[in-house]
Amino acid sequence: MSELRLFSKCKAYEIRAELQQTNIKKHRASATKRKDALRKIIANLSMGNFGEMALLFPDVLRFWQVEDDLEVKRICHHYLVAMAPTKSGHFATALSMVLEDFNSGTEAVQILALRTLSSVPLPAYLEEASKCASAVLHQHSEPEALKKAALYALLRLAQLDSERSQLLMGIVGKVLQSAKEKPSVRAHALFVLYQEEESSSETRTMGLGRDLCLSMLELLPRLNEWDNGRVLDALTANYVPQTHDDAHFMIDKALPQLQHANTSVVLNALKLIVFLTNYVDRLSESIVKQLSSSVISLLNKPPELQFLVLRNVILLLLGREKPLLKVDVPYFFVEFNDPIYIKDTKLEILYLLAKEDNLAQIFQELKEYATDIDIQMSRKAIRAVGNLAVKLKNSVDECINLLLDLLDFEVEYIVQEIISVFKNVLRRYPEKSKLCLYKLVRFTDSVQEPESRSSMIWIITQYSSQLPNYFELFEGFSNNFLEESLEVQFTILSSTVKLFTRHPTPATEKLCINILKSSTEKLDNPDLRDRAFMYWRLLSCTQKSGGNILTMDAVREVVDGNLPLITLNSRLDPHVIEELELSIGTIVSIYLKPVNQVFRLNKPRVLPKSPALNSDKDNLEIIADDTRSHSSSFTDDSSLASRRQSSSPVKKMDDYDRPAEVVNQLKLKRKTSSATSLLSRKPSVLGRKLSMKRPFG
Amino acid sequence: MASCIYFCDNKGKVILSRRYRDDVPPSAIEKFPSLLLEAEQESSIVPPCLTHNGVQYLFIQHNDIYVLTMSRSLSINVAQVFSFLYKLVEVLAEYVKTVEEESIRDNFVIIYELLDEMLDYGIPQITETKMLKQYITQKSYKLIKSAKKSKNVIRPPSQLTKSVSWRPEGITYKKNEAFLDVTESINMLITASGQVLRSEILGKVNVRSRLSGMPDLKLGLNDKGIFTSVESASSSEATEGKKSNIELEDLKFHQCVRLSKFENEKIITFIPPDGDFELMNYRLSTPIKPLIWCDAKIQVHSQSRIEIHCRAKAQIKKKSTANNVEILIPVPEDADSPKFRYSHGSLKYVPEKSAILWKIKTFNGGKEYSFAAQLGLPSMTDAEVPRAKRPIQVKFQIPYFTTSGIQVRYLKINEPKLQYQSYPWVRYITQSGDDYTIRTA
Repeated sequence: MSELRLFSKCKAYEIRAELQQTNIKKHRASATKRKDALRKIIANLSMGNFGEMALLFPDVLRFWQVEDDLEVKRICHHYLVAMAPTKSGHFATALSMVLEDFNSGTEAVQILALRTLSSVPLPAYLEEASKCASAVLHQHSEPEALKKAALYALLRLAQLDSERSQLLMGIVGKVLQSAKEKPSVRAHALFVLYQEEESSSETRTMGLGRDLCLSMLELLPRLNEWDNGRVLDALTANYVPQTHDDAHFMIDKALPQLQHANTSVVLNALKLIVFLTNYVDRLSESIVKQLSSSVISLLNKPPELQFLVLRNVILLLLGREKPLLKVDVPYFFVEFNDPIYIKDTKLEILYLLAKEDNLAQIFQELKEYATDIDIQMSRKAIRAVGNLAVKLKNSVDECINLLLDLLDFEVEYIVQEIISVFKNVLRRYPEKSKLCLYKLVRFTDSVQEPESRSSMIWIITQYSSQLPNYFELFEGFSNNFLEESLEVQFTILSSTVKLFTRHPTPATEKLCINILKSSTEKLDNPDLRDRAFMYWRLLSCTQKSGGNILTMDAVREVVDGNLPLITLNSRLDPHVIEELELSIGTIVSIYLKPVNQVFRLNKPRVLPKSPALNSDKDNLEIIADDTRSHSSSFTDDSSLASRRQSSSPVKKMDDYDRPAEVVNQLKLKRKTSSATSLLSRKPSVLGRKLSMKRPFG
Repeated sequence: MASCIYFCDNKGKVILSRRYRDDVPPSAIEKFPSLLLEAEQESSIVPPCLTHNGVQYLFIQHNDIYVLTMSRSLSINVAQVFSFLYKLVEVLAEYVKTVEEESIRDNFVIIYELLDEMLDYGIPQITETKMLKQYITQKSYKLIKSAKKSKNVIRPPSQLTKSVSWRPEGITYKKNEAFLDVTESINMLITASGQVLRSEILGKVNVRSRLSGMPDLKLGLNDKGIFTSVESASSSEATEGKKSNIELEDLKFHQCVRLSKFENEKIITFIPPDGDFELMNYRLSTPIKPLIWCDAKIQVHSQSRIEIHCRAKAQIKKKSTANNVEILIPVPEDADSPKFRYSHGSLKYVPEKSAILWKIKTFNGGKEYSFAAQLGLPSMTDAEVPRAKRPIQVKFQIPYFTTSGIQVRYLKINEPKLQYQSYPWVRYITQSGDDYTIRTA
C-alpha cells in the first residue's frame, strides 16, 4: 500500500463525507481511515488546491479536539498555517486549541503549537506567540528542542514586526549570555541574533563581547555539525579582535574545524580564518598549508559543492598579492566527466594560477583543451592562452607559437578564436608582429564571425606597411561593407580612414570616399553615420579649398595615434575584495560580485575597524615553521611575489578603481536570444578580464 | 536560510513542497521550469544556481528529480544549502531506498514529517537518521525494517538533551562488534605518453558499529602511516620538498570525532553513532606509479579500419591480486565488425558506450597481458566530424592492500557502564576512483 492513492485532487465534500463516515466509531479501523482523509487534505494543499480545502476548516477543528495522535495534530497544525492567508473567522476558535496544545506538556506538541502561533500573521496569534516563547525561554528546565523552537518563533516575530524586534532580540540576547544554558541553545540564540541583524536595514554589527566570542568558540566541539557551521558563520565580522593575540587565539580555535566532514562547516571555518587574518601581524606557513589542503580535499565532493568550492578558490586567488592558498596546478586540470560549469571555473583558476614556473605544464593542458571536442571549451582555452600572453610578458613567444601551431589545424572555430585573440596580443606586443603576421594574413578568407573579422581588419590596417598586398586584402572586407554586421562596419570605417591617412594614394582615397558615402547615405545607423561625418569633416579640413586648417600629419595624429598599451586588470578594488572575503560560501562567492551591485537592498559588508587591523594586507608576513625545512620555499615565495610585481606593467591608481563588472559578468546577463549567435556573442569569462583603456579605432 | 524546499521532476514541475518563510512568493516556483529550459539552451548541463527576479534558485540533481531551495537573501550560505540538500537526499534514501519521483509521491507524509524535523524556519537541525527515527511516527513504504518500530505513541524524545546528539541511549546488542572498512580510491590522470599528470589517494574509514550503550572508541593507526611527520619528511625528499606534507593535515572527520583532541594529541576518539557511518576520510597526493598500467596504441586508418594494441600490467606486489579489472577503451562511434585476439580475460565490444571493454577477473601482481583488436570503419564518412578525445578508463579492486600503507593498530572500545567484551574487525581494500583515466592521443 502506498500513499500514491492519496495524491489526487479531491472536492471538499468527498473528504468531508469520508471524515464524517468514520466520525462516530472510535476503534482502530476508522481511525486509520480518518487519518487517510486528513492526509488527503495535505496532499491537496501541496497540489495547490487551497480553495476547496478552505471549506473543510470546521471539520478539521472538530478532529483537533477528539484526537490526541501526534500525526493528526501535525496535520491540523499544518493545515492551520497553510490557511493563514485566508484570515478566516475560524482562527479565533482555533487559537484556544493551539494554546491548549501548548499547555499539554508534551514536548513535540508544544513545539508544533509554538511554530503555528508564530507562523499565523494575525495579531492575536503573534501576541500569544511572544508570550509563550518568552515564558519558555525564562524557564531553565524546559527541554532543549522546545527552547530552540521558541528562539525561532521570536525570530519570526521580529521579522514580521520590525518595531518590536529590539525588545524580542533582548530576550534572545539574554539566552545567549547565560552561561548556564545548554551549548546548542546558546548557539541557536547567537544565530537568531545574527539572522535578525542580517535582515535589518541598519548597517551595524552585533558587536559581541570578547568573552562571549571566546566562550562560543570553546563550545564548538559540543555542538552538532549544522550548529557548528552556524556559530562560525555568525562570529565572522561580528566580533572584532582588538589585539593580534586575540586573533591568533581565535584562529587556533577555528583551525580544527577545517577537518570536519561537512563542507559547510569547513567553508565557514575558512571564512572566519580569512577574516581573522586581517587582524594578525604574521601568519604561520602551516596555516596556509592547512587552509590549502582542506580546500583541495573539498574538490572530491559532488559537483554542486565542487562548483562552489572552485568559485571560492578563485575568490581567494584574486584577493591578495600573496594568496592565502598555495595549491598545485594539476588539481584543477579538467576531467573528461566534469560538467561544463566546473570545466569553465577550472579553466579560470588555471589562468589565475599561471606563473612563469608552471607555464609549460599549463600550456600543455590548454593545448589539450583547445583541440577538445567541446567547441565552447576549446574556444575558452584559446582565449585563455591569448590572455596569458598579455599577462605574462616573458612567455609571450611561447604563447604565440602555441597559437600558431593551433592555427595549423585549420578547424574553423579555432581559426576564428585565434584571430580574435591575436588582436589583443599584438596590441600588447606590437614588436612581435613579424613572428606571425604573414601566417595570420593567410587566413583572411576564413574569418567569418564579426569579432574575428574586425580583428583581422584591424591587423591588416595596423601592419599595412609590412604587407605589400594590403589593399587587396582590405578590399575583400570593404567590398562587402553594406552586408557586414555593425561591429565590422565600424571597424571598416575607421580602418579605411586610417589607411588613407597612412597611404594617401588615389586608390585609398576612392575607397575612403566610397565607405564614407555608404555609411552616411546607404546605412541608417545613427552612430555609424555620425562617426562617418566626423571623419569626413576632419578630412575635409586638410583640403586646400577648406582653408587648410589642419595638416595631414595632424589628422594622422588624431586618427592613427599611438595606442596605449593594454594592461590586464586581474586585481579588484580592495573594498570589493574585502567584501568578497567576508562572503565566502555565500551566493556572492558564486557570482564574485559585491552584493550591492547585484541587489541594492542588501547591505555591503566591511571589515570593522580595530587597533589590530592591518592596513596593508599584501605585506602580511607568512613565516615558515621552525621545525621543518620550509625556509627554501619561503624565500622562493617572496621572490616570486616580487617578480610578479615587476612583471606586471606599471600599475596606476585607476587600475584598481574599475568596477567589478569587467572581472565577472553575472551568469544571467549573457543570455542571447538567437540560437545562431549563441557562441559568438558569448565571450568567455576570461575574455572579459581584459579591460582596454580605450576602444579600438 | 532556505525559504522553502521543493522536490521537482526533471522538467522542473513540483512534486512536493514545504515552505518555511514567506519572503519568496509562491509564484516563484512557477518560473523554475522555464529558467531550467533557458539554462539548458546554453549548455546541456545546468549550473546549480540561477537567479530570477531577486530570487536565488539553488538546487541539486538526484536521479530524475531536482531538490530545490529558494531564498531572497544574498547572504544565504550556499555551502550549507548544498551540504544540507545532499544530506536530505541521503536521509530520504534510508527511508525510501531510491529517491525518485515515484518514491517521493509514495511517501509524502513521511517526507513532510522529515522536513519538519530537519529544518526549522528553514534552518537545518537534526540530520542523523537514527535520531530522527524517534520523531517520525510514520512508516515508510519500501522499507521493511523500520516497520516494527512505527509506534504511533507520543513519546517525549528526551535523548536530544544529552551532549551526544547523534546517538540515542539505551541501544543493546547481544554481540558487540565494530567493523572498520579502510577503503582507498586511486585517482590518476595519465597522458597518452604514459606520464602521470596527477595522482591522489582518497582514503576513507567506514565504521559499522553494533555496540551497546554509550561506548567511547579510540582508534590507533600505525606509526609509519601518514600521521607522523617522520614519514612525511622522508617522502618529502622524493617530492622535492615542495608539496612535502600537505597530506598530513588533510583529514576530515565525522562530527562525532573530538576534533580538538585530535588537533592537540593526534588521538582519534569518538562516541560512534549507531550503524553505518563514515568515520574519516583523508587524501594523499604523493606521486604513485600506476597500479594498473595500461598502454594502448590506437591506429586509425581512416575510412577503412582501426587497430588497437593494448598491454596492461599489474604493478603491484607479487602476492597481491587485482580483482575485477575493467579497461574501457574508446573507439569511434561508427566502428563495426570487431575482431579480437587476446590471451586473458574477456573482451567485448560495447557499441552503446562506443568502446571496447576488457575484463580480467583476477590479475596477479607483476603479470602482463595484452590484446589486439581490429574494427572496421565505414568507408563513407561525414566530412569534418571531429573525433572526441575520450580517455581510457580503468577500474579495479585490490583487497588486503592499502597504497598509502595505513594500518589500524588498535580500536579500543570502552563502555564505562556496561564493560562488555567487544570485537573490532578491520578490512582493507584499494580500488580505482572515479577518475582513473589515461588520455588517448
